[in-house]
Amino acid sequence: MDILKKQKKKAKKAVKTPDCISCDEISQLKDALKNVNKKLIEAEQIKSNFISNISNELLNPFTSIIALARSILEVKKENWKKVISMVSLIHSEAFNLDFQFKNIIAAAKVEAGETYPEISDVEIIGLVTDVVDGFKYEAKKKDLHIKYYFTGEINSDSYYFRTDAEKIRLIISNLLSNAIKFSYNNGSIIIETCVKNKLLIITVQDFGTGISEQNQKIIFDRFQRSDSGISSAVRGHGLGLSINKAFIDMLHGTISVKTAARKGATFTVTLPYSEDISEGITLDGNELLFK
Amino acid sequence: MKPETAEKLKKHFLYPSTIWVSAEPYEITTILGSCVAVCLFDHKLSIGGINHYMLPLWNGSGLASPKYGNIAIEKLYEKLIIYGCKNDNITAKIFGGAEIIEKKTMNYNIGAQNIEIALEILQTMRIPILSSSLGGNLGRKIIFNTATGEVRQFYVSRS
Repeated sequence: MDILKKQKKKAKKAVKTPDCISCDEISQLKDALKNVNKKLIEAEQIKSNFISNISNELLNPFTSIIALARSILEVKKENWKKVISMVSLIHSEAFNLDFQFKNIIAAAKVEAGETYPEISDVEIIGLVTDVVDGFKYEAKKKDLHIKYYFTGEINSDSYYFRTDAEKIRLIISNLLSNAIKFSYNNGSIIIETCVKNKLLIITVQDFGTGISEQNQKIIFDRFQRSDSGISSAVRGHGLGLSINKAFIDMLHGTISVKTAARKGATFTVTLPYSEDISEGITLDGNELLFK
Repeated sequence: MKPETAEKLKKHFLYPSTIWVSAEPYEITTILGSCVAVCLFDHKLSIGGINHYMLPLWNGSGLASPKYGNIAIEKLYEKLIIYGCKNDNITAKIFGGAEIIEKKTMNYNIGAQNIEIALEILQTMRIPILSSSLGGNLGRKIIFNTATGEVRQFYVSRS
């Protein structure tokens, strides 16, 4: 009986003054746990925003396309003008859908670790012109004028730069798409492409709403939008700039933004000429085998 | 492995921030500075996978890509599990984490942090580390055979 009492006393003492963890450490752990909890709640909120954004982004265009196609089927033969306006809406919705899918797939591939640089000699003038041409109907909807020009060492009809064509195409597309979204009607967008000292510098400038100082810190984060919520007038999923950042990192480049509220934003992407990764590397010493 | 068999192996160059797992035998080459590559191998199924990460931890900004150690190791492990590998049969080899940039210009040593996160996560996953070549101030070129789990390593320097 005495032994049992002694054991109980010992157990109580152990609970009161644990020798493995101090009160300070407990309070530190508590704080750490609180922080983790806060971050988890934020992450959940961001995720649910993304899901509602993406549902709208994907479902709305399909609904429009189906409804417009049905209307076209019912249009009388002589009413071609009506058909053309509906076809242009179908094109716009399908174009946006295609663009969203490309971004979602690109983000999924980056996160799965399945995105590799695919380096080749890329004809820069043709690529930029092609991207701008792809967005011409989107720009037309807001009466925007896209000016683009080439400077630096790009002084002929074609100019080749060693880089990843598909990644650059999506990088420029995302910047241009944002520039169109956040521009005021009847405005203009300027794209300058320059090659200098083995660097490709692409600048996309708009004169729209601009980005607040607070939002500048989060624009490269996934699922973050400078104006979030379903009711937002501007469509988007908040993936574009985070994909751009990941692609630019992969190509060892940089991206920066200069912006002022209601005056617009200028994004500058700088990419180096891609060398072979093993270039300039010499083996030092013997081979070691780890079985 | 006989040299003639090695020659027939398919080859893949592993870029930073990427992962490679294959049931088909492959010879994966990657070049490491302060980055770390974790090679996981299931000796029962003879399936291996490798990652190459640049920074220790994803802090919640940007895409949750295998650029970060905590994401890269977890995703590599998940891929092996999808291929049917069992935790008890998986072993690890770790390489890289050199201190390439002079300490004077850095507040902290990224290489050392990259190593630390690998050791920590693998310990939590209870995956034994069979061998490793870590730290120092020289880069490494490693060649990982996904069918045998063997790794050949060369030290490299920038000329």
